Amino acid sequence: MARSMLIITRQSPWSGPTAREALDIALAGGAFELPLGMLFLDDGVFQLTQAQQAAQLQQKDLTANLQALPMFGIDSLYAAKRSLSERGLDATKLSLLVEVLDDDALRTLINSYDHVITL
Amino acid sequence: MATLHMLSYSPFADSRLASCLRLLAADDALLLTGDAVYALQANTAQRQALELMPVSIALFALEEDLAARGLTAVPERLQAIDYAGFVELCCRYDRTNAWL
Repeated sequence: MARSMLIITRQSPWSGPTAREALDIALAGGAFELPLGMLFLDDGVFQLTQAQQAAQLQQKDLTANLQALPMFGIDSLYAAKRSLSERGLDATKLSLLVEVLDDDALRTLINSYDHVITL
Repeated sequence: MATLHMLSYSPFADSRLASCLRLLAADDALLLTGDAVYALQANTAQRQALELMPVSIALFALEEDLAARGLTAVPERLQAIDYAGFVELCCRYDRTNAWL
């Protein structure tokens, strides 16, 4: 049986290639039908805000690619409640449907996967 | 089902340590390598946070990274390890989480 992996993404889309690399890992794993989860933590929650305009910085739009996650069979999507509230983000106004979890739930989540990688 | 969390960046430059400390479960462990061992610097909030972790959470650091940085006054709870110990730890815990 395939081993499960949680990808924790904690960089904003604008801080370098890291956010996109985390997404690429998720999409590649999804294409091979691996049981994956993705957690948006710290600045990673900024990937979920609406009305971002990547073209302004001559970059590709990460939001559109994030929408592909469910299509690749990755439905286990989570965001850290504390990270959202620290950054003034409304959990009901995100560009992706995610489950919002508090620190206790996150501890349990991390320990429920076979592998964890934090980018 | 416990996790070995591994940090390698200075806690004075970013929020990895702070985030990691919030997400450590009761039987998890923390391994400091590279500049992350600066978290053990005396008289700092980071060092204090490490000392205040629940006793059930084991604290490790790579010995050569401590020695290279001249960090000798380490907390009593710290277990310094070599690379063989590093490998052994990775096998001992159910999973590792490298905060890259």
